[in-house]
Amino acid sequence: MTEISLSTRLSTFLRSFIIQGSWNYRTMIGGGFAFAILPVLRELFEGPRLDEAVRRHAEHFNAHPYLAGLALGATARLEADGAEPELMLRFKSAIKGPLGGMGDALMWAAWLPTTVLIGLVAHFAGASPWMCVLLFLIPYNAGHVALRLWGFGTGLRWGHDVGRVLRGAALGNLAELVSRGGVVLLGMLAGFLCVAGARGGPIELLWTTLMAVAFTAGLILGERAWRPAALLAVGTVVCVLMVAAR
Amino acid sequence: MPILLFRVDERLIHGQVVIGWGSQLHPERYLVVDDDIADSEWEQDLYRLTVGDSTKVSFFTVEQARQRVSEWMSADERTLLLTRDLCSMLRLARNRLLEGKSVNLGGIHHGKGRKMVRSYLYLNDADRGRVRALEEEGMHASGRDLPGSLKVGLADLLEE
Repeated sequence: MTEISLSTRLSTFLRSFIIQGSWNYRTMIGGGFAFAILPVLRELFEGPRLDEAVRRHAEHFNAHPYLAGLALGATARLEADGAEPELMLRFKSAIKGPLGGMGDALMWAAWLPTTVLIGLVAHFAGASPWMCVLLFLIPYNAGHVALRLWGFGTGLRWGHDVGRVLRGAALGNLAELVSRGGVVLLGMLAGFLCVAGARGGPIELLWTTLMAVAFTAGLILGERAWRPAALLAVGTVVCVLMVAAR
Repeated sequence: MPILLFRVDERLIHGQVVIGWGSQLHPERYLVVDDDIADSEWEQDLYRLTVGDSTKVSFFTVEQARQRVSEWMSADERTLLLTRDLCSMLRLARNRLLEGKSVNLGGIHHGKGRKMVRSYLYLNDADRGRVRALEEEGMHASGRDLPGSLKVGLADLLEE
Protein backbone atom coordinates (compact mmCIF):
# COMPACT_ATOMS: atom_id res chain seq x y z
CA MET A 1 0.00 0.00 0.00
CA THR A 2 1.66 3.19 -1.24
CA GLU A 3 1.06 6.26 0.89
CA ILE A 4 -0.05 9.36 -0.97
CA SER A 5 1.73 12.49 0.29
CA LEU A 6 -0.20 15.10 2.27
CA SER A 7 0.37 17.88 -0.26
CA THR A 8 -0.95 15.69 -3.08
CA ARG A 9 -4.01 14.75 -1.07
CA LEU A 10 -4.62 18.41 -0.25
CA SER A 11 -4.20 19.41 -3.88
CA THR A 12 -6.69 16.78 -5.08
CA PHE A 13 -9.15 17.78 -2.37
CA LEU A 14 -8.98 21.45 -3.39
CA ARG A 15 -9.33 20.57 -7.07
CA SER A 16 -12.50 18.59 -6.22
CA PHE A 17 -14.26 21.92 -5.55
CA ILE A 18 -14.31 22.65 -9.29
CA ILE A 19 -15.08 19.12 -10.41
CA GLN A 20 -18.08 20.39 -12.43
CA GLY A 21 -15.92 22.91 -14.32
CA SER A 22 -16.06 21.06 -17.65
CA TRP A 23 -19.53 19.53 -17.31
CA ASN A 24 -20.97 18.21 -20.58
CA TYR A 25 -23.55 15.62 -21.66
CA ARG A 26 -21.00 13.15 -22.95
CA THR A 27 -18.62 12.72 -20.02
CA MET A 28 -20.50 14.80 -17.39
CA ILE A 29 -17.96 15.36 -14.60
CA GLY A 30 -15.42 12.97 -16.18
CA GLY A 31 -13.09 15.78 -17.23
CA GLY A 32 -13.30 17.36 -13.77
CA PHE A 33 -12.59 13.99 -12.19
CA ALA A 34 -9.41 13.56 -14.24
CA PHE A 35 -8.35 17.13 -13.40
CA ALA A 36 -8.89 16.54 -9.66
CA ILE A 37 -7.08 13.19 -9.50
CA LEU A 38 -4.17 14.43 -11.64
CA PRO A 39 -1.82 15.26 -8.71
CA VAL A 40 -2.22 11.67 -7.42
CA LEU A 41 -1.52 10.23 -10.87
CA ARG A 42 1.55 12.48 -11.25
CA GLU A 43 2.91 11.17 -7.98
CA LEU A 44 2.40 7.53 -9.00
CA PHE A 45 3.19 7.45 -12.73
CA GLU A 46 5.22 9.15 -15.41
CA GLY A 47 5.49 9.12 -19.20
CA PRO A 48 3.05 6.99 -21.22
CA ARG A 49 1.65 5.32 -18.08
CA LEU A 50 0.66 8.74 -16.74
CA ASP A 51 -0.95 9.53 -20.07
CA GLU A 52 -2.93 6.32 -20.01
CA ALA A 53 -4.02 6.90 -16.39
CA VAL A 54 -5.32 10.41 -17.13
CA ARG A 55 -7.22 9.10 -20.16
CA ARG A 56 -9.01 6.38 -18.22
CA HIS A 57 -10.25 8.87 -15.63
CA ALA A 58 -11.44 11.42 -18.20
CA GLU A 59 -14.16 8.98 -19.33
CA HIS A 60 -17.83 9.39 -18.38
CA PHE A 61 -18.45 9.86 -14.66
CA ASN A 62 -21.20 11.42 -12.64
CA ALA A 63 -21.96 11.94 -8.95
CA HIS A 64 -23.29 14.61 -6.66
CA PRO A 65 -20.58 17.33 -6.67
CA TYR A 66 -20.27 17.36 -2.88
CA LEU A 67 -19.96 13.57 -2.64
CA ALA A 68 -17.78 13.11 -5.74
CA GLY A 69 -14.79 13.47 -3.39
CA LEU A 70 -15.65 10.08 -1.92
CA ALA A 71 -15.22 8.47 -5.33
CA LEU A 72 -12.06 10.55 -5.89
CA GLY A 73 -10.55 9.43 -2.59
CA ALA A 74 -11.43 5.79 -3.17
CA THR A 75 -10.09 5.85 -6.73
CA ALA A 76 -6.87 7.51 -5.51
CA ARG A 77 -6.54 4.66 -2.99
CA LEU A 78 -7.09 2.07 -5.73
CA GLU A 79 -4.52 3.75 -8.00
CA ALA A 80 -1.99 3.87 -5.15
CA ASP A 81 -2.63 0.17 -4.45
CA GLY A 82 -1.99 -0.66 -8.10
CA ALA A 83 -5.52 -1.88 -8.86
CA GLU A 84 -6.42 -3.07 -12.37
CA PRO A 85 -7.99 -0.37 -14.60
CA GLU A 86 -10.92 -2.73 -15.21
CA LEU A 87 -11.61 -2.92 -11.47
CA MET A 88 -11.51 0.87 -11.09
CA LEU A 89 -13.94 1.22 -13.97
CA ARG A 90 -16.31 -1.18 -12.26
CA PHE A 91 -15.94 0.67 -8.97
CA LYS A 92 -16.67 4.01 -10.58
CA SER A 93 -19.73 2.76 -12.44
CA ALA A 94 -21.11 1.17 -9.27
CA ILE A 95 -20.62 4.26 -7.07
CA LYS A 96 -22.15 6.81 -9.49
CA GLY A 97 -25.77 5.99 -8.74
CA PRO A 98 -25.66 5.89 -4.93
CA LEU A 99 -23.57 9.08 -4.65
CA GLY A 100 -25.99 10.95 -6.91
CA GLY A 101 -29.08 9.77 -5.05
CA MET A 102 -27.72 10.28 -1.54
CA GLY A 103 -26.24 13.68 -2.37
CA ASP A 104 -29.50 14.93 -3.87
CA ALA A 105 -31.53 13.75 -0.89
CA LEU A 106 -29.15 15.19 1.67
CA MET A 107 -28.01 18.46 0.07
CA TRP A 108 -30.57 19.63 -2.51
CA ALA A 109 -33.69 18.33 -0.77
CA ALA A 110 -32.70 18.87 2.88
CA TRP A 111 -29.62 20.96 3.69
CA LEU A 112 -30.05 23.77 1.14
CA PRO A 113 -33.73 24.55 1.87
CA THR A 114 -33.17 24.25 5.62
CA THR A 115 -30.25 26.68 5.70
CA VAL A 116 -32.19 29.11 3.45
CA LEU A 117 -35.02 28.92 5.98
CA ILE A 118 -32.61 29.83 8.80
CA GLY A 119 -31.85 33.10 6.99
CA LEU A 120 -35.51 33.81 6.23
CA VAL A 121 -36.69 33.15 9.77
CA ALA A 122 -33.86 35.35 11.08
CA HIS A 123 -35.12 38.15 8.82
CA PHE A 124 -38.62 38.00 10.23
CA ALA A 125 -37.22 37.72 13.75
CA GLY A 126 -35.63 41.13 13.16
CA ALA A 127 -32.00 40.35 12.28
CA SER A 128 -30.17 42.81 10.03
CA PRO A 129 -29.89 41.91 6.30
CA TRP A 130 -26.18 41.03 6.36
CA MET A 131 -26.75 38.91 9.45
CA CYS A 132 -29.48 36.95 7.60
CA VAL A 133 -27.14 36.36 4.67
CA LEU A 134 -24.40 35.13 6.98
CA LEU A 135 -26.86 32.92 8.86
CA PHE A 136 -27.52 31.18 5.54
CA LEU A 137 -24.03 31.21 4.02
CA ILE A 138 -22.04 30.04 7.03
CA PRO A 139 -24.03 26.90 7.95
CA TYR A 140 -24.64 26.02 4.30
CA ASN A 141 -20.97 26.15 3.37
CA ALA A 142 -19.75 24.61 6.62
CA GLY A 143 -22.10 21.70 5.91
CA HIS A 144 -20.90 20.93 2.41
CA VAL A 145 -17.22 21.41 3.24
CA ALA A 146 -17.63 18.99 6.16
CA LEU A 147 -19.37 16.49 3.86
CA ARG A 148 -16.61 16.85 1.26
CA LEU A 149 -13.88 16.34 3.88
CA TRP A 150 -15.61 13.29 5.33
CA GLY A 151 -16.23 11.84 1.86
CA PHE A 152 -12.68 12.32 0.62
CA GLY A 153 -11.16 10.94 3.83
CA THR A 154 -13.52 7.95 3.87
CA GLY A 155 -12.76 7.17 0.24
CA LEU A 156 -9.00 7.37 0.76
CA ARG A 157 -9.21 5.08 3.76
CA TRP A 158 -11.57 2.39 2.46
CA GLY A 159 -10.99 2.20 -1.30
CA HIS A 160 -13.57 0.03 -3.03
CA ASP A 161 -15.05 -1.08 0.31
CA VAL A 162 -16.73 2.30 0.92
CA GLY A 163 -20.15 0.69 0.36
CA ARG A 164 -20.12 -0.80 3.84
CA VAL A 165 -19.16 2.54 5.44
CA LEU A 166 -21.82 4.41 3.44
CA ARG A 167 -24.51 2.01 4.58
CA GLY A 168 -23.41 2.47 8.19
CA ALA A 169 -23.22 6.25 7.84
CA ALA A 170 -26.96 6.27 7.07
CA LEU A 171 -26.92 9.58 5.18
CA GLY A 172 -30.61 8.98 4.49
CA ASN A 173 -31.40 9.24 8.21
CA LEU A 174 -29.32 12.41 8.41
CA ALA A 175 -31.33 13.89 5.51
CA GLU A 176 -34.54 12.98 7.34
CA LEU A 177 -33.31 14.70 10.51
CA VAL A 178 -32.28 17.87 8.64
CA SER A 179 -35.66 17.95 6.85
CA ARG A 180 -37.46 17.79 10.19
CA GLY A 181 -35.50 20.81 11.38
CA GLY A 182 -36.44 22.52 8.11
CA VAL A 183 -40.11 21.79 8.68
CA VAL A 184 -39.98 23.42 12.14
CA LEU A 185 -38.39 26.53 10.56
CA LEU A 186 -41.03 26.53 7.82
CA GLY A 187 -43.75 26.53 10.48
CA MET A 188 -42.07 29.51 12.18
CA LEU A 189 -41.79 31.30 8.83
CA ALA A 190 -45.49 30.68 8.08
CA GLY A 191 -46.37 32.12 11.48
CA PHE A 192 -44.24 35.22 10.87
CA LEU A 193 -45.77 35.73 7.41
CA CYS A 194 -49.30 35.43 8.81
CA VAL A 195 -48.65 38.05 11.46
CA ALA A 196 -46.43 40.32 9.34
CA GLY A 197 -49.25 41.83 7.22
CA ALA A 198 -51.78 42.31 10.01
CA ARG A 199 -50.47 45.75 10.96
CA GLY A 200 -51.34 47.48 7.65
CA GLY A 201 -54.43 48.18 5.55
CA PRO A 202 -56.83 45.90 3.56
CA ILE A 203 -54.25 44.47 1.14
CA GLU A 204 -52.05 43.34 4.01
CA LEU A 205 -55.10 41.98 5.77
CA LEU A 206 -56.03 39.98 2.63
CA TRP A 207 -52.47 38.65 2.48
CA THR A 208 -52.59 37.65 6.14
CA THR A 209 -55.95 35.93 5.70
CA LEU A 210 -54.70 34.05 2.65
CA MET A 211 -51.59 32.95 4.50
CA ALA A 212 -53.62 31.77 7.46
CA VAL A 213 -56.04 29.83 5.23
CA ALA A 214 -53.22 28.26 3.21
CA PHE A 215 -51.30 27.33 6.36
CA THR A 216 -54.35 25.75 7.99
CA ALA A 217 -55.28 23.91 4.79
CA GLY A 218 -51.74 22.60 4.54
CA LEU A 219 -51.87 21.38 8.13
CA ILE A 220 -55.20 19.58 7.63
CA LEU A 221 -54.66 18.18 4.15
CA GLY A 222 -50.91 17.64 4.28
CA GLU A 223 -49.71 14.99 1.84
CA ARG A 224 -53.21 13.62 1.35
CA ALA A 225 -54.22 16.56 -0.83
CA TRP A 226 -55.21 15.50 -4.31
CA ARG A 227 -53.45 18.14 -6.37
CA PRO A 228 -56.12 19.33 -8.83
CA ALA A 229 -58.67 19.41 -6.00
CA ALA A 230 -56.30 21.36 -3.76
CA LEU A 231 -55.60 23.86 -6.55
CA LEU A 232 -59.31 24.27 -7.16
CA ALA A 233 -59.94 24.86 -3.45
CA VAL A 234 -57.14 27.44 -3.23
CA GLY A 235 -58.39 29.16 -6.41
CA THR A 236 -61.94 29.37 -5.04
CA VAL A 237 -60.76 30.79 -1.71
CA VAL A 238 -58.61 33.39 -3.50
CA CYS A 239 -61.52 34.46 -5.75
CA VAL A 240 -63.91 34.75 -2.82
CA LEU A 241 -61.39 36.82 -0.90
CA MET A 242 -60.69 39.09 -3.90
CA VAL A 243 -64.43 39.77 -4.30
CA ALA A 244 -64.80 40.34 -0.58
CA ALA A 245 -61.85 42.76 -0.53
CA ARG A 246 -63.54 44.98 -3.15
CA MET B 1 -46.22 -11.35 -15.12
CA PRO B 2 -43.91 -11.41 -12.14
CA ILE B 3 -40.75 -10.24 -13.93
CA LEU B 4 -42.15 -6.83 -14.77
CA LEU B 5 -39.16 -5.49 -16.68
CA PHE B 6 -36.07 -6.87 -18.40
CA ARG B 7 -33.65 -3.97 -18.68
CA VAL B 8 -30.13 -3.40 -19.99
CA ASP B 9 -28.52 -0.49 -18.12
CA GLU B 10 -24.81 0.09 -17.50
CA ARG B 11 -25.57 1.72 -14.17
CA LEU B 12 -27.84 -1.19 -13.10
CA ILE B 13 -29.66 0.05 -10.00
CA HIS B 14 -29.71 3.85 -9.84
CA GLY B 15 -32.14 6.77 -9.46
CA GLN B 16 -33.86 6.35 -12.84
CA VAL B 17 -34.56 2.71 -12.09
CA VAL B 18 -35.53 3.01 -8.44
CA ILE B 19 -37.51 6.28 -8.63
CA GLY B 20 -38.53 6.28 -12.32
CA TRP B 21 -39.48 2.65 -12.91
CA GLY B 22 -39.78 1.62 -9.25
CA SER B 23 -42.55 4.12 -8.49
CA GLN B 24 -44.56 2.80 -11.48
CA LEU B 25 -43.95 -0.91 -11.13
CA HIS B 26 -43.53 -1.24 -7.34
CA PRO B 27 -40.99 -4.07 -7.42
CA GLU B 28 -40.38 -6.22 -4.33
CA ARG B 29 -37.07 -7.43 -5.67
CA TYR B 30 -34.32 -6.45 -8.08
CA LEU B 31 -32.42 -9.24 -9.81
CA VAL B 32 -29.00 -8.31 -11.16
CA VAL B 33 -27.58 -10.82 -13.62
CA ASP B 34 -23.85 -10.40 -14.12
CA ASP B 35 -21.01 -12.92 -13.86
CA ASP B 36 -18.50 -10.48 -12.34
CA ILE B 37 -20.77 -8.79 -9.82
CA ALA B 38 -22.27 -12.09 -8.63
CA ASP B 39 -18.79 -12.82 -7.30
CA SER B 40 -17.91 -9.42 -5.84
CA GLU B 41 -19.21 -8.48 -2.41
CA TRP B 42 -18.03 -4.87 -2.38
CA GLU B 43 -19.78 -4.19 -5.68
CA GLN B 44 -23.00 -5.70 -4.36
CA ASP B 45 -22.74 -3.42 -1.30
CA LEU B 46 -22.52 -0.40 -3.61
CA TYR B 47 -25.49 -1.39 -5.78
CA ARG B 48 -27.62 -2.11 -2.71
CA LEU B 49 -27.12 1.47 -1.44
CA THR B 50 -29.65 2.98 -3.86
CA VAL B 51 -32.47 0.71 -2.74
CA GLY B 52 -34.31 1.03 0.57
CA ASP B 53 -34.15 -1.80 3.10
CA SER B 54 -37.68 -2.94 2.24
CA THR B 55 -36.74 -4.06 -1.29
CA LYS B 56 -34.56 -7.11 -1.88
CA VAL B 57 -31.62 -7.09 -4.26
CA SER B 58 -30.15 -10.41 -5.47
CA PHE B 59 -27.17 -11.09 -7.69
CA PHE B 60 -26.76 -14.08 -10.01
CA THR B 61 -24.42 -15.27 -12.72
CA VAL B 62 -25.97 -15.73 -16.16
CA GLU B 63 -25.81 -19.53 -15.72
CA GLN B 64 -27.60 -19.41 -12.34
CA ALA B 65 -30.19 -17.05 -13.78
CA ARG B 66 -30.87 -19.39 -16.74
CA GLN B 67 -31.61 -22.19 -14.27
CA ARG B 68 -34.08 -20.12 -12.31
CA VAL B 69 -35.64 -17.62 -14.67
CA SER B 70 -38.75 -19.67 -15.42
CA GLU B 71 -39.30 -20.10 -11.68
CA TRP B 72 -39.03 -16.29 -11.21
CA MET B 73 -41.43 -15.65 -14.05
CA SER B 74 -44.10 -17.82 -12.47
CA ALA B 75 -43.57 -16.57 -8.89
CA ASP B 76 -45.81 -13.96 -7.23
CA GLU B 77 -42.95 -11.65 -6.28
CA ARG B 78 -42.84 -8.46 -8.36
CA THR B 79 -39.37 -8.38 -9.86
CA LEU B 80 -37.19 -6.25 -12.13
CA LEU B 81 -34.33 -8.03 -13.90
CA LEU B 82 -31.27 -5.99 -14.86
CA THR B 83 -28.07 -6.64 -16.77
CA ARG B 84 -25.38 -4.05 -17.41
CA ASP B 85 -24.69 -5.05 -20.99
CA LEU B 86 -26.38 -6.57 -24.02
CA CYS B 87 -24.05 -9.59 -23.82
CA SER B 88 -25.42 -10.86 -20.52
CA MET B 89 -29.03 -10.31 -21.62
CA LEU B 90 -28.37 -12.19 -24.85
CA ARG B 91 -26.71 -15.10 -23.04
CA LEU B 92 -29.71 -15.22 -20.70
CA ALA B 93 -32.13 -15.24 -23.64
CA ARG B 94 -30.35 -17.99 -25.63
CA ASN B 95 -32.40 -21.01 -26.78
CA ARG B 96 -35.52 -18.83 -26.79
CA LEU B 97 -35.62 -18.91 -22.99
CA LEU B 98 -37.34 -15.52 -22.81
CA GLU B 99 -39.46 -15.86 -25.94
CA GLY B 100 -42.16 -13.23 -26.29
CA LYS B 101 -40.74 -10.97 -23.55
CA SER B 102 -39.83 -7.33 -24.09
CA VAL B 103 -36.35 -6.06 -23.33
CA ASN B 104 -35.82 -2.44 -22.40
CA LEU B 105 -32.54 -0.75 -23.35
CA GLY B 106 -32.21 1.94 -20.72
CA GLY B 107 -28.59 3.00 -20.57
CA ILE B 108 -25.57 2.22 -22.73
CA HIS B 109 -23.17 5.12 -22.66
CA HIS B 110 -20.71 6.59 -25.07
CA GLY B 111 -17.77 4.31 -25.85
CA LYS B 112 -15.46 3.16 -28.61
CA GLY B 113 -17.13 3.40 -32.04
CA ARG B 114 -20.55 3.89 -30.52
CA LYS B 115 -23.04 6.13 -32.28
CA MET B 116 -25.69 8.10 -30.41
CA VAL B 117 -29.23 6.80 -30.75
CA ARG B 118 -30.56 8.79 -27.81
CA SER B 119 -28.73 10.71 -25.06
CA TYR B 120 -28.86 7.57 -22.89
CA LEU B 121 -28.20 5.09 -25.67
CA TYR B 122 -25.07 4.69 -27.79
CA LEU B 123 -24.63 1.61 -30.00
CA ASN B 124 -21.89 0.22 -32.25
CA ASP B 125 -22.01 -2.53 -34.89
CA ALA B 126 -21.48 -5.31 -32.35
CA ASP B 127 -24.29 -3.91 -30.18
CA ARG B 128 -26.67 -3.78 -33.14
CA GLY B 129 -25.75 -7.39 -33.89
CA ARG B 130 -26.71 -8.31 -30.31
CA VAL B 131 -30.03 -6.48 -30.61
CA ARG B 132 -30.75 -8.49 -33.78
CA ALA B 133 -29.77 -11.69 -31.99
CA LEU B 134 -32.16 -10.85 -29.13
CA GLU B 135 -34.95 -10.53 -31.70
CA GLU B 136 -33.95 -13.90 -33.17
CA GLU B 137 -34.30 -15.39 -29.69
CA GLY B 138 -37.88 -14.10 -29.65
CA MET B 139 -37.42 -11.02 -27.47
CA HIS B 140 -38.71 -7.57 -28.48
CA ALA B 141 -36.13 -4.84 -27.96
CA SER B 142 -36.86 -1.15 -27.57
CA GLY B 143 -35.09 1.84 -26.04
CA ARG B 144 -36.57 3.92 -23.21
CA ASP B 145 -34.86 5.53 -20.23
CA LEU B 146 -37.93 6.35 -18.13
CA PRO B 147 -41.51 5.05 -18.16
CA GLY B 148 -42.78 8.47 -19.25
CA SER B 149 -40.48 8.95 -22.24
CA LEU B 150 -41.05 7.84 -25.83
CA LYS B 151 -40.13 4.32 -26.89
CA VAL B 152 -37.34 3.97 -29.44
CA GLY B 153 -38.38 1.27 -31.88
CA LEU B 154 -36.31 -1.53 -33.40
CA ALA B 155 -35.81 0.31 -36.71
CA ASP B 156 -34.25 3.31 -34.90
CA LEU B 157 -32.06 1.02 -32.82
CA LEU B 158 -30.71 -0.78 -35.85
CA GLU B 159 -30.16 2.29 -38.02
CA GLU B 160 -26.44 2.63 -38.76
